[in-house]
Amino acid sequence: MSKGDKEPMFSAKNLKLLSGPLSLNNPVIVQILGICSSLAVTAKLKPAFVMAISVTVVTAFSNLVMSLLRKGIPNRIRIIVQLVVIAALVILVDQVLKAYVYDVSKQLSVFVGLIITNCIIMGRVEAFALGNKPWPSFLDGIGNGLGYGMMLIIIAFVRELLGSGTLWGYRIIPESAYACGYMNNSLMLLPPMALIIVGVIIWIHRSKNRDLIEK
Amino acid sequence: MENVFNIFIRSIFIDNMVFAYFFGMCSYIAVSKNVKTALGLGAAVTFVMVMTVPLNYIINRFILEPGALQWISPSFADVDLSFLSFIVFIAVIAAFTQLVEMIVEKFSPSLYNTLGIFLPLIAVNCAILGGSLFMQQKEFLTVGAATSYGLGSGIGWWLAILMMSAIREKITYSKVPAPLKGPGIAFIITGLMGIAFMSFLGIQIN
Amino acid sequence: MNKNNNAYIIIYASVMIIIVAVLLSVASMALSGRQKDNIAVEKQGAILSAIGLGGDADKVKDKTKYIQEEYRKYIVESYVVNGEGNVVEGVDAFGLLDNLKAQFAAPVADMQLPVFVAKLDDGTELNVLSLYGAGLWGPVWGYIALEGDWNTIYGAVYDHQGETPGLGAEISTPIFEHQFDGKTIFENGQFTSIAVLKGAGASAGNNHAVDAISGGTLTSRGVEAMLHDCLSTYLPLIEKKRAALETANVASNELTVENHE
Repeated sequence: MSKGDKEPMFSAKNLKLLSGPLSLNNPVIVQILGICSSLAVTAKLKPAFVMAISVTVVTAFSNLVMSLLRKGIPNRIRIIVQLVVIAALVILVDQVLKAYVYDVSKQLSVFVGLIITNCIIMGRVEAFALGNKPWPSFLDGIGNGLGYGMMLIIIAFVRELLGSGTLWGYRIIPESAYACGYMNNSLMLLPPMALIIVGVIIWIHRSKNRDLIEK
Repeated sequence: MENVFNIFIRSIFIDNMVFAYFFGMCSYIAVSKNVKTALGLGAAVTFVMVMTVPLNYIINRFILEPGALQWISPSFADVDLSFLSFIVFIAVIAAFTQLVEMIVEKFSPSLYNTLGIFLPLIAVNCAILGGSLFMQQKEFLTVGAATSYGLGSGIGWWLAILMMSAIREKITYSKVPAPLKGPGIAFIITGLMGIAFMSFLGIQIN
Repeated sequence: MNKNNNAYIIIYASVMIIIVAVLLSVASMALSGRQKDNIAVEKQGAILSAIGLGGDADKVKDKTKYIQEEYRKYIVESYVVNGEGNVVEGVDAFGLLDNLKAQFAAPVADMQLPVFVAKLDDGTELNVLSLYGAGLWGPVWGYIALEGDWNTIYGAVYDHQGETPGLGAEISTPIFEHQFDGKTIFENGQFTSIAVLKGAGASAGNNHAVDAISGGTLTSRGVEAMLHDCLSTYLPLIEKKRAALETANVASNELTVENHE
């Protein structure tokens, strides 16, 4: 990027930073990053949604801060600086959640802290923010956070609907269906099903985008 | 209330880091392509875990917990530094990882080369930070309990990645539908293994 | 300027740490009041719901204020006893709720167990005891409200840290909790606790048992163990209170007899 080039704030290139991670470059199902901690919060829609927002905020701001700092960071302590910035942001998010949405923060329990080690955040800082200007970095962070959040929400949607018959805590499958012998699939609520759903989503996604198929 | 051995068994089989909490999935999926590398990474993770969990336990107990600073002076009884725990835990883990990296580089350059980027990335392996955060949440009563939890969780992760890599070595000879190749099938296998591990639920050794 | 110069690195790191530390401390201090309120209100809300109150909390605008006012109105007294049932002076019962695990693990004479006394609008007096135990994945806890006879359960609430949503986590739903209403913990003067039985309808007609959560057997078993252990811990106190009631009854009976003469 040449200095002083006056790109509009939402140029085609910048918009691509936002939309790319939603499908072709999705951090979860294409880059296989950040599955780690957060699948555990996908048994219900509400915590998954809060988690998605928290991760988006942290990714966006850590990208922004690291991009602003990128010229001054001594290379030898780069990783530590990244960890400190990310950890500080996560602590802020955690404190805010505890103060304003205590119920949800209780459900998320240790998983908020584990945003620190979410590979997406580190990965985007390393791969993008350290080499780009603050504004595109910020957009890239939001894009990746949303791409990630989208996956969480899809998984939570399937699990809550089939596992509990509810969405966001409201009953979706009518009582009459239960009377006719319909049963919730409790297996959906157990951790292994989240992995299998991710596998199936990858399957569907790759059969639509054949370039992504390995070998 | 809970004995040390029970915690150990539980953390390997029931509270398994991979199957129950999806911790450390990034390196779990990426490094499980062959058994030898998986063995090395598993050992490194277990080592870092068994050292950092008790260390963080001590730090948490005597510095971070609400009222933990009382041993210095009773006037600190109201100090609550627990908001710093994330940052302190991750710093301890990063320092330890650095140490392991230096040791591996010195004694086994070949392993060092194969593990490549994932060695420094142990620092951001969720399983390890997860171990420390769960330790804090579970409020263990003794250092021994915390150590046994760290060791068990590390071994649990090691076991998971080892089994996965063995399966993946075999699966290269199977006909997997093309879009499922690689990570897709790996997730589904992990899910099935997770279901198998659920049969350990309810084991209690007193 | 050389960025890999040691002095630069040290200065850089120190400045960064100071900035981060200041930022986090400010945030923590600014928000800690709200957080403490949240935690306290959650506990007060749980105690209230054990006595069947505070149900409108989600409908009112200021939940915090509503719960605090209700709590002040209905919880008239609280005291602390040790494992021998003797009252311990000078300890704040509500403050103990932060670390119940340590209290139940302490030697009998050093235990500090909170008891909350509630007075309902119609004058009924209830005694709320706290419970703490282990579920399948992590701790479970709760409050149980006993009626004035220290035998009949007026209400119970449970909460948990990480039980499986939809399965073990169902212990904190009213459907499970209301099963306890009206059950008794003594049979002919013998302490029986409350059993949590597997299979729908297994507890029908049994005054000392409730149905377990289907699919959440291990968590249900954890609740059963918690009830048994914690109530046993409180047992010396409960026995004392019951003995006192008995003497009072006998005394009042004698009184009536005398009056008849």
